[in-house]
Amino acid sequence: MSTQVHGNGLSGPRRLRSRASRLLAAVGAAALTLSAGLATPLNPAPHRAAAAEGDSVLTVAVAQSVDSLSPFLASRLLSTSIHRLMYEYLTNYDPRDARAIPGLATRWESSPDKLTWTYTIRSDSQWSDGQQATAEDAAWTFNKMMTDEGAATANGSFVTNFKKVTALSPAKLVIELKTPQATMTALDVPIVPKHVWGKVTDFSEFNNDKSFPVVGNGPFVLTDYKPDSYVRLKANKDFWRGTPKFDEMVFRYYKDQDAAVAALRKGEVSFVAGSPSLTPAQAASLESEKDIHVNDAPGRRFYALAINPGAKARNGQKFGDGDPSLLDVRVRHALFMAVDRKAVIDKVFQGHAVQGQGYIPPRFSQYFWKPSASQELAYAPQRAARLLDEAGYRRNNSSGKRLGKDGKPITYRILCHATDPNDKAVGQYLKEWWGRLGIGVTLDCLDNVSDPWLAGTYDLAFDGWSVNPDPDFVLSIHTCAALPATPKDSGATDNFVCDKQYDDLYTRQLSEYDPAKRATIVKQMESRLYDLGYMNVMAYPNAVEAYRTDQIKSIRTMPSDAGNIYGQDGYWSWWSAVPADRTGSSDDAGATGVIVGGVVGAAVLVGAGVFFALRRRSTVDDRE
Amino acid sequence: MKTDIPAPAAGAGPRRLAWQRRRRSAVRFWKQYRTHRAGLVGMTALTLFALVALTAPLTVGSDVAGVTDAPGRPMESPSGEFPLGTDRFGRDLLGLLVWGSRVSLLVGLLAAVLSVAIGTLVGITAGHFKGAYATVLMRVTDWFLVMPTLVLAIALATVMSRSLGTVILAIGVTSWPTTARLVRAQTLAVESRPYIERAKALGGGHRHIMARHVLPNVMPLVLAQATLMVSGAILAEATLAFLGLGDPTVVSWGGLLQEAREAGAVSSGDWWYLVPPGIAIAAVALAFTLCGRAVESVLNPRLGVDR
Repeated sequence: MSTQVHGNGLSGPRRLRSRASRLLAAVGAAALTLSAGLATPLNPAPHRAAAAEGDSVLTVAVAQSVDSLSPFLASRLLSTSIHRLMYEYLTNYDPRDARAIPGLATRWESSPDKLTWTYTIRSDSQWSDGQQATAEDAAWTFNKMMTDEGAATANGSFVTNFKKVTALSPAKLVIELKTPQATMTALDVPIVPKHVWGKVTDFSEFNNDKSFPVVGNGPFVLTDYKPDSYVRLKANKDFWRGTPKFDEMVFRYYKDQDAAVAALRKGEVSFVAGSPSLTPAQAASLESEKDIHVNDAPGRRFYALAINPGAKARNGQKFGDGDPSLLDVRVRHALFMAVDRKAVIDKVFQGHAVQGQGYIPPRFSQYFWKPSASQELAYAPQRAARLLDEAGYRRNNSSGKRLGKDGKPITYRILCHATDPNDKAVGQYLKEWWGRLGIGVTLDCLDNVSDPWLAGTYDLAFDGWSVNPDPDFVLSIHTCAALPATPKDSGATDNFVCDKQYDDLYTRQLSEYDPAKRATIVKQMESRLYDLGYMNVMAYPNAVEAYRTDQIKSIRTMPSDAGNIYGQDGYWSWWSAVPADRTGSSDDAGATGVIVGGVVGAAVLVGAGVFFALRRRSTVDDRE
Repeated sequence: MKTDIPAPAAGAGPRRLAWQRRRRSAVRFWKQYRTHRAGLVGMTALTLFALVALTAPLTVGSDVAGVTDAPGRPMESPSGEFPLGTDRFGRDLLGLLVWGSRVSLLVGLLAAVLSVAIGTLVGITAGHFKGAYATVLMRVTDWFLVMPTLVLAIALATVMSRSLGTVILAIGVTSWPTTARLVRAQTLAVESRPYIERAKALGGGHRHIMARHVLPNVMPLVLAQATLMVSGAILAEATLAFLGLGDPTVVSWGGLLQEAREAGAVSSGDWWYLVPPGIAIAAVALAFTLCGRAVESVLNPRLGVDR
């Protein structure tokens, strides 16, 4: 639906614009940059991939740097995507419908008491150093995470309920659980080779970036990495599912999305990752470009406004300084009722998003929930004002501002990501919408939001998570168990929500093995979360990404119809990508540039010559 | 320079005498300033910009910055209704340009005044007291001088809350060392003159000498420096806003450029979003520089006329 609006409504007039206008803008930008004397935020000349002649290289421009290449530490989307390429997981997701399908394990079954799971490990998967990947490796990986706290940093939540993991034979892995766990076919844990990782001493420090190539058994093998610059991988010829079509993959870091788009236009990169999504203007201008395909797919993210419910730790200690008025559910509901979600979609995302409802995006239809008509907090500013009056936060007669219980005007601090233009744009709308309610807003846009976030020193925050096919993780971050142990620690919690009713439902869904019944409980959880009003989902942004069709002939999206390419649950896109036949059509732009440059250079030289000749003539009388 | 006129003898209307002298020197200043064509151009441009900024509440009004009632569609190209097109919220860019001039000029002027005030204070006291005090102060000045101003300003703007005051402070406290050096040199020159010794002999204290004898003599230099400083401060403000360190809800020229970049206007060729604020910044900075240079050469004939 959203793609329709976008295609018909917005990109029309922009299509007519020519290359000349772009040149003019570039000249304007360049002139300004020079006059202001700043260093351009654009990357310095990007590092050229030094591929062997004739090798097909798939270069992906990403806007994120790698946090760690160790699967035990990495949590960023880029890093986990790379781990999908480097290592096999027990199970994988079907690219069509995200069903669990064989990965390193070929079969799995649970015992009648639901507490013992047996996995059969495939015999045709080899580590890149020639050794066989066995159940022993998997058992070692899980045991390490269960016993070493440093190894549990990233994926520890998967194993907290494990009692014992053993490898009965090279092909048989047995996991015994304390209580039933529904996520046993969605264990997103990369299995690492025991004979390599057994030598690591400190898992909280080891980043897996010292010796290359890194031993793995995924479709690609990591061969090179330079922090904040690039990650290079080579195709694994012996990959059991089949050799990838591209010989090499490079993830290149572009701090500036506009620079990445420019690189795509020039053919320096094959793909621009939609994380963050391309802006509507970028997408519209790329759509009119020859040889570039813009993929605008329903995203797996939600974009929400999180409210600080008074940060506290598991030991009961309170910290942070969230505004006490937000503890009143009427205030939270009033705030969200003054948010015009349709305007956010139309104006900020310009159609590249879907209006927010429940916690889980509609793409995961199994778990998607939306509030009933009576439950929904629809846009109703007058009702919001009445609700605030009822809650006792009345307008001051002279200033028109609402006063808190301490008698001071209410001003909320909204934490926003300085790197996300959408945060700032939505923030400006919030400032005006809530300003009409008599509530002040200050936008704290920071490059690094995690410090105030973990310390609980904010009132509201822009929040967003990518949702996995199995929603367990995004549900778990709102349980009491996810709170930090003490104010000094950092927990897995998102914004310190802790609700008994929600927790009970969470425990129930985790032990429910029947998919339909589990989905019902998950929807009840979403309903509860919606009513609590601490997580207000405004939109489900589309993944807007683009690639060169003269470099990538075909690439698989997930789900197959209308799906994203970068950041999939699995390696499908990069493993399936087929290189286009080399015809050299992308060199046109470069050649034109050279010609233009040559002409300009010649003109300058001629001009200078004429100038000096005239000068000499004019001073001919003065010379001796 | 006015140092050749000794303090007037007490008698009939010393105040009137002083006023007459001031008026004469003002007229003399204006006569000389008029001969600098570039200075006149700069001054005309400045007057225009000041008029636009001061009358903005009447011409465009603060509603132009409102996003919820934006009149157009996002990123419209220039048309009869919107001569400079619209921004990513659908707001009229011409109106925003006019409205943004207020912030850019205000921040530029205040930051320049702050910076020159600090510089003058440091320069005069260092030149006057000499000794250990001056050594310490000048080493601090040297330290600030070698620090890249922009980096320091970014650091300051990052740790403090996002507001206009922060930006003014960040620019002001990082750009004073040049002024301090200049003023100190001038102070040393003034203090070596015999009449200062005479004032001391007559019982003039530190404060009297600095405020009554040194300050008036370094004032022309300070004025010229302040005018030149403004253009630097405006550029610095635009830079900080462009780097996303300003208050995102305040409309300024640098902020417009930052928004344009974030909206992807550079790669999609929406020149109307980028070029007007860029030209406006360059024009105002140039106007201040032209004025400053003219003032400088009028007040300091040694610099020569043809500059």
